[in-house]
Amino acid sequence: MADSDLSFLALCALLPIFFLIFLKLIVRPRPVKVPIKSRHVFITGGSSGIGLAIARQAATEGARVTILARSLDKLEEAKTSIRLSTGIDVAIVSADVCDFEAVKAAVESAGPIDVLICNQGVFVAYELENQDMKEIKGMIDVNLIGTFNLVKAALPGMKNRSDRKPVSIAFMSSQAGQVGIYGYTAYSASKFGLRGLAEALQQEVIADNIHVSLIFPPDTDTPGFAEENKKKPQLTSIIAGSSGVMQSDEVAKKALNGIKSGSFFIPCNFEGFLLSLATAGLSPQRSYLMAFVEVISAGILRIAGLCFQWTWYGSIEKWHAQEK
Amino acid sequence: MAAASLSFIALCILPPIFLLIFLKLIIRPRPVRIPITSRHVFITGGSRGIGFALARQAAAEGARVTILARNLEQLQEAKTSIRLSTGVDVAIVSADVRDFDAVKHAVESADPIDVLICNQGVFSSGELVNLEIKEVKRMIDVNLIGSFNLVKAALPGMKNRSDRRPVSIAFMSSQAGQVGVYGYTAYAASKFGLRGLAEALQQEVIADDIHVSLIFPPDTDTPSLTEEKERRPPLTSIIAASSSIMRVDEVVKKTLNGIKSGSFSVSCNFKGFLGSIATAGLSPQRSYLMAFVEIISSGVVRIVVLCHLWSFYGSIEKWHAQEK
Repeated sequence: MADSDLSFLALCALLPIFFLIFLKLIVRPRPVKVPIKSRHVFITGGSSGIGLAIARQAATEGARVTILARSLDKLEEAKTSIRLSTGIDVAIVSADVCDFEAVKAAVESAGPIDVLICNQGVFVAYELENQDMKEIKGMIDVNLIGTFNLVKAALPGMKNRSDRKPVSIAFMSSQAGQVGIYGYTAYSASKFGLRGLAEALQQEVIADNIHVSLIFPPDTDTPGFAEENKKKPQLTSIIAGSSGVMQSDEVAKKALNGIKSGSFFIPCNFEGFLLSLATAGLSPQRSYLMAFVEVISAGILRIAGLCFQWTWYGSIEKWHAQEK
Repeated sequence: MAAASLSFIALCILPPIFLLIFLKLIIRPRPVRIPITSRHVFITGGSRGIGFALARQAAAEGARVTILARNLEQLQEAKTSIRLSTGVDVAIVSADVRDFDAVKHAVESADPIDVLICNQGVFSSGELVNLEIKEVKRMIDVNLIGSFNLVKAALPGMKNRSDRRPVSIAFMSSQAGQVGVYGYTAYAASKFGLRGLAEALQQEVIADDIHVSLIFPPDTDTPSLTEEKERRPPLTSIIAASSSIMRVDEVVKKTLNGIKSGSFSVSCNFKGFLGSIATAGLSPQRSYLMAFVEIISSGVVRIVVLCHLWSFYGSIEKWHAQEK
């Protein structure tokens, strides 16, 4: 009796341990650390919002920072603001990410890039039937094609760099890039697209010790968010309201920590962490501990995901019933 | 002893039964059937490949079919071919999906649409360093923005239709829309984007009894595939070799069956089925049985995925080692 109890206990304890060892052996790409101190961090959309917060945080941590945006005025203001709060000077360069030649010129004038943070983004929430095609195209051009322009411009330099330490290409996605929500057809399309780019890109650049990250912040307290809120459909607020609003400096810290630890998915709060687990899909996982958590929680998280669908579609039904 | 065995058996059977009952109660949107016989099916990219085969099969099943493509001659050939093999006449309309006004005109000149199949697509593979930005833009414009144009053009008619039976909007994605693979940055970005669009769109249109489907075929035996394979990077071929090529008529059967059963994710073979489970994420699941399968298998499927990634990245490492 005691023997079989003991063997049973041993099995219960050993199985997870063997599994953890198995995971440690097979996770690819292998874990990596990407230092940013004294290295060149290039941030687009860096004159306001999350980009500005990341620039400030990176400068504080000792990185050499370049911020890119369209408006030279806003760039100057951002530069001054960062100097006042950190004493550090960041470089500024003006370009429209939708213009490949301008991006190429900006990237080449900036010098070798160690951490490229494609953070530029526009977002306007509207039902597809009410949204202008011009606005839809704008989101996909800036958020998705703009990012292709940046990566294509920066890649040759990164691949041929003299300093062969690990470097990083990071994309600012969104929780709207993990799940499509009422009102976000265009924004979600652009952010989901970033994931397709990132998964394929990681395979193409791993041999050059380049590491890709996707950052998934929730609604963040920025000027862009304030703008978006003015015109958001009510149902979007109801459904998206389930995730909280974060401060941009909190998001910046999570983003940089994630980039430094070479994580492929970088969530910014607990809901985001659960979302990352639920949407792991076929994305790479560089931490065997996280892989373990993904495997054991996958089933329960799918149940939670289905419950969320039940809530959301319930809200939609209720709202339409009221409208009649 | 007998009581203990009985309780044990009850413990094993009851939780799954309770879970199944729970799932049947909570899955949203609710299951639906979408008939296509005598209904109007509008297929883009319908003069060749999968689209052409879809048109032929739908016509054989008694649907009224319209096919859209750019080239009028190819459309005429397709129309003749379908008449010869099924005796049925399909309507043809020529337009470039990238041109919203042309698409709007084409949609409005056709009968009210019951099943819109956004099947147009271009794909070329190549490492991002080697792809021209022009080619990246083309894939995203045709595959993603083209689909936005189609949906936006067709939505008003669908929402205001007199026949209030369930209707469908289906997007032809790809296994490259489930996982980003070496050489497919732009194609994967465009197909992942379709998913963001689809998830958000379903929430926006459910109240009008419009049902969204995403179809995920593997490499399918079409003229386009033959063209693409000739220029595929070697590593893409190595990694993609793990997936088999399907025949067009098999893909077509799965596609139409998926649309008729109102499924959100439509997979075409066993690998695709595993891929759908792995990438269920926060997508809706309209079948409580599939939801059950997703929940109990997602953990194991994630392990299988991690092994696949180990294999992909191993191939990449090996190939680069050989190149030196």
